[in-house]
Amino acid sequence: MSIIWGLFFTPEDFVQGNSYRIIYLHVPASFLSQTLYLAMAISSITYLIWRVKLAAYLIIAIAPIGAMTTFIALISGSIWGIPTWGTWWQWDARITSTLILFIMYLGLISLHNSFSNHEKADKLLSWLVIVGAVNIPIIKKSVDWWSTLHQSASITLTDKPSIDPVMLYPLMGSIIGFFGLVICLVLLSSKYQILHREKNKSWVKDYV
Amino acid sequence: MFNFAFNSIYEAIYMNGHGLYVWSVVILVFISLLGFFIGFTVKIKKIKDKLNEPN
Repeated sequence: MSIIWGLFFTPEDFVQGNSYRIIYLHVPASFLSQTLYLAMAISSITYLIWRVKLAAYLIIAIAPIGAMTTFIALISGSIWGIPTWGTWWQWDARITSTLILFIMYLGLISLHNSFSNHEKADKLLSWLVIVGAVNIPIIKKSVDWWSTLHQSASITLTDKPSIDPVMLYPLMGSIIGFFGLVICLVLLSSKYQILHREKNKSWVKDYV
Repeated sequence: MFNFAFNSIYEAIYMNGHGLYVWSVVILVFISLLGFFIGFTVKIKKIKDKLNEPN
């Protein structure tokens, strides 16, 4: 609903014209790509400290969805860049650090799939996710630390949003809506991981 | 706040030449989300069918 609101019922941007409407998909995807990685990092810590098996399943359940949201963020940003920057790609700090995040997601998935011993894979993956979490503040702060083509954040927790409320409300709505859809995907992916990893347990056979 | 931003449906699709960029992103997001939803649903169904097979 919020995406429809943003696409059809918000005014045209004075500088960027209608291409700015990509914001209603690009920003939620970017926000979620980082949030999902943080969720993986929290699951990794939970798994390493308390050995909660579900936390390990959650890490690998989230990874493909995180890769998908990062891919959407990169592609939508590239498409948005053509009419606004005149280029689809620039090796600037924000874009490069997001590309690194995407490669990290793919690497973590490949690494997990390459192990036949699931417990070893879970342990190694958890450590790597925690180490890789250093990239999240870099992505977040890249636009402040370096001179980048990418604009600085329009919405922050501390300052008043620099975006007009007419455009801000549908943006907030699309972030919440996207978040809900991704949570549904994470639940489905987790269900698959649980069934796959616990398939030899009696309770799974009773469940199905 | 809820005024239709365009004069016609054609304008809403064309978006002054930016429609190609906006709609390609919309399609990408829609296909990705739907693809993942169908993918996980099929995977769950397959594993359930496998577990239900008589040994």
